[in-house]
Amino acid sequence: MSRISPDFVPQLLAGMVVNFEIAAIALLVGLAVGGLLTWMKLAGGASGAFATAVIGLMRAAPTFVVMFFLLNIIPSDATLFGVNVAPSGIMTVALSLVPYAAAYVADNGGEALRQLRDGSPLGALLFLPNVTRAFFVLVMSSSAGAAIGVPEGIAVILREAELMPTLGDKMVLFAIGILCFGITLQAGFALMRLLQRYLGRLALRAR
Amino acid sequence: MIFLRRIVISALASLLALATLPSHAETPDAALVKLLDEAKAAAAVPGACAQPGLDRLVRIFCEGKIRVGVREYYPLFGTREGCVRSGYDVDVARRLAKHLGVEPVFTRVNAATRIPLLADDKIDLTIATMGHNAQRDGQVRFIRPHYFQSETIIVGPKGLTIRDWPDVASRTICVTVGNGSNAQIVSHNARLMLFDEAGVLPDKLRDETCTLAAQDDSFFDYYFTDPAFAGSYDRKFGFAQLPWGMAVALAGSDKLARALDLTSQIFHRDGVFLDIAKENRIGLGFLERQRAVWNRPECNTATGAENPACVLPPLSAVLEPTPIAAQVAAFEGWIEKHTGIALQLPMFKTMPAWLLFKAGIVNSLILVAGALVATLLFSLVLGAMQSSRSFLLRWPARALTVVLQSSPVVLTLVISAAVALALFPYSSAVAIGAAIVALGLMNGANAGQAIAEAMHTLRTERGGPAVPTADLYGRAVSRSATQIVSFLINAAKGTPIASFIGAPELLSALTDITSFASGRASTYSLLLVFYVCVVIVVVWLCGKLRIWLERRQVVSA
Repeated sequence: MSRISPDFVPQLLAGMVVNFEIAAIALLVGLAVGGLLTWMKLAGGASGAFATAVIGLMRAAPTFVVMFFLLNIIPSDATLFGVNVAPSGIMTVALSLVPYAAAYVADNGGEALRQLRDGSPLGALLFLPNVTRAFFVLVMSSSAGAAIGVPEGIAVILREAELMPTLGDKMVLFAIGILCFGITLQAGFALMRLLQRYLGRLALRAR
Repeated sequence: MIFLRRIVISALASLLALATLPSHAETPDAALVKLLDEAKAAAAVPGACAQPGLDRLVRIFCEGKIRVGVREYYPLFGTREGCVRSGYDVDVARRLAKHLGVEPVFTRVNAATRIPLLADDKIDLTIATMGHNAQRDGQVRFIRPHYFQSETIIVGPKGLTIRDWPDVASRTICVTVGNGSNAQIVSHNARLMLFDEAGVLPDKLRDETCTLAAQDDSFFDYYFTDPAFAGSYDRKFGFAQLPWGMAVALAGSDKLARALDLTSQIFHRDGVFLDIAKENRIGLGFLERQRAVWNRPECNTATGAENPACVLPPLSAVLEPTPIAAQVAAFEGWIEKHTGIALQLPMFKTMPAWLLFKAGIVNSLILVAGALVATLLFSLVLGAMQSSRSFLLRWPARALTVVLQSSPVVLTLVISAAVALALFPYSSAVAIGAAIVALGLMNGANAGQAIAEAMHTLRTERGGPAVPTADLYGRAVSRSATQIVSFLINAAKGTPIASFIGAPELLSALTDITSFASGRASTYSLLLVFYVCVVIVVVWLCGKLRIWLERRQVVSA
């Protein structure tokens, strides 16, 4: 433990902020894309079929591969109307998570709209805890950014681990990482449960 | 009589020895003086300088100047600040010009223009950090002996012990796309992180994005002149030595090339190159070795530059083509002509790329199959443990599940790889095995939890805690079919991340291929299509499994 740099924990926390940042961007874009796909799917016809096919492909696309695809397909000097649009490392990871987020939003959004049409607004509100769950899944998945040099939490842990001479020292470091991410995840799930209970109470009052 | 014969034989042997002694061969100095005198005499003939087809050496004496192409933005070798040029290449040019008794006139060149400018007769000589490989022998005439030699070096933090190739296996090394030495790094099981420009590598080391970086020593030499950089990082080891050559045009430069060959020999022998290198604070190892070589009697002759025992061979940079390389190139051309899309398929054009590609596909399929089987096995085992009435089985399984759920996928993979490497020496099989275990555990733990929850509901429906039987457990598995299938698909989708710990699956293979070949856009598009297809097949198979499990539940109910 004494071999761990005194800057490690502050750096890890700063890295975890990056994980949250990536997840937030991915979820926001996912909500927009997923919302659009849900609307198209419910509209039926050709656009509905197209949306269903796109959602299917998004579900099947592995995040890690999408990340490398985006990283290599967009030139570092790409411009649009004279503005550099090449995504940063953080944005690349966030965009790679968008297919998952959008497909998830489309699935759950469709279900929520169905509940709403069936006269169950509270059932539709279950969309909120589901989105919260997706957000924390995205936080954990954003660790893939370590592979392309994004300075997120896992990258900080791995950087420090490179300098650890023994497996035991590395394991201590990894345990700290799991603890930090675990507390965050469990706190997120606790928040989700609170939200569900609150919605449940609302449902009881409505009856 | 015998005595007389011995004397005659001894005398003949002595004569033979004297005849073959290098000291009796023409020295490079004498040969150079003779050549220069002839050229100067040719230039002095009235009207000779106006005649076409002059050898460039004669023309140099006609004009009293030599036009040299040098770089302007290559620290320590060729830089320019205002009108002041400096660097090893520039100083070598100045010394050569002085030796010939003419003035140097510099022209800016870069990697793309240094050969065409020679062919267009815009410059007489290029001294521009140019590696001598066999391909370039057909474009320019390289001056030998070579005036410098670079090598690719691995640079990393001083505290990190890296001595040789075994120490870099499974580590990530930051490199630039297209660097000829990338293929060698890949062959030693290191992972690559690719960057477009070498200039970003020191920054990536400083901000700790990269722990190790590989690039020419001539590039890092400049950064090692910075005390802060030199205090934090050091050179771990070098490989892929590449001799650098001055070069002249293939046509009309025979005498100039010969004069420069001889001058280069003399500069090595007398330590002139070494002195210039010291002044410019670049690596001295190669030049010190060359000084010893060119002081050897068999090399210090007018023909030393033609002696294979003295000069270095060019690097052979040509990758072996596949039998279908020509057809693939024709197909690429056809696609471009008819669609405008510049499709490039490097994995089908060279043997190293093709072998990596084939192995990548096979390993990816093994990884997907392994991850699916491992997920199923771990889910059944952990599900059974979590359904057990014994807390000695139940609680460790629950604790493991919570830990696995709390660990990001990359971290779990790294932990699995660290444990595997503590038990076995690194190999592709170990990396694939570690990835299968990690993916199986992560997804199996979640699926196992779903089975345990299904078991709980079955017990509740039966009115209280029942003894867990195989039949009841089977029903729990059937009831959690949707969850199991969902985590099986998740495991298949997660397999590409195994490349992070060095498993040589397709993503890893294609990253390696694009590091030494072109066609990144086509290559990664193909990769995405491959994995989407694999996941679609897995989803279809898992759908069949779910239907079977659900039918089983209906039958048993």
